[in-house]
Amino acid sequence: MKELSMHILDIAMNSVKAEAKLIEITVEDSIKNNSIKITIKDDGKGMSKEILENVANPFYTTRTTRKVGLGLSMLKEASERCNGYLKINSQLGVGTIVESFFERNNIDRAPLGNIADTILVIVNSLKNCNLIYNHVVDDNSFTISTQQLKEILGEVVISDSNVVMWIKEYVNENINDLYKN
Amino acid sequence: MKNFELAKKLDLESLLEIDKDIKVEGVYVGDLLSVVMSKAKADYIWITIQTHINVMAVAELLDISCIIVVENMEVEADTLQKARELGIPIFKSRESAYQVACKLNNMGIK
Repeated sequence: MKELSMHILDIAMNSVKAEAKLIEITVEDSIKNNSIKITIKDDGKGMSKEILENVANPFYTTRTTRKVGLGLSMLKEASERCNGYLKINSQLGVGTIVESFFERNNIDRAPLGNIADTILVIVNSLKNCNLIYNHVVDDNSFTISTQQLKEILGEVVISDSNVVMWIKEYVNENINDLYKN
Repeated sequence: MKNFELAKKLDLESLLEIDKDIKVEGVYVGDLLSVVMSKAKADYIWITIQTHINVMAVAELLDISCIIVVENMEVEADTLQKARELGIPIFKSRESAYQVACKLNNMGIK
């Protein structure tokens, strides 16, 4: 995948498939520590020990069909190529936490990509599920929560085109501001 | 060869309006920048799907003659800005890396 945001989208889709009620994505971009850490946490079905052990193995399939795609294998490869790691914690009935770490200035580290578009695609695929997105750049951070948005919007649906445009601008502006300081 | 001649022969979209004589010593196809850095050479044409600004850093470091972005990938504005600053021609093709490489081979570039 050309951009880290594509990985985020892919992993978040696993959470949607796992019937999560809340997905929390945190991108910690630290120029000081020369690191990028991406954490995707959900309260979905979780994975059994057997699936968890094989989840980053691209040739592993369960007897029926694959329960997860190749996304975790690709994220593992992408982070390890940049002197980083992929950690997955999962418990049946509790949820899953996927954490990936990248050396920020590694020449093979893919760019973050378009976070606002990624958030919108995820938001569009949510059914009875909320998303919290946190973006941290060293000491500054930005958070957007669909739960809060829904409370403010009241009767207006989050997929309304005006709302979508607003979210896009709001996320872009706030993330750009984090990099100005 | 003039960069616009190359664009015409390969049916490329020129992303920079610069008129430049380019030397072509060879061609390298690659997307993993660390590998490109160790394998591509000066005055090579570099064919890639990568579009972020690091591409320009690698091209400048190696003295790449020009970059051909394939598969119609969108090139970021800061990448184009850097290409302009460095005077490195950058083109875009709708074709695959293989198709562009074959055309270069047919032109006699080995």
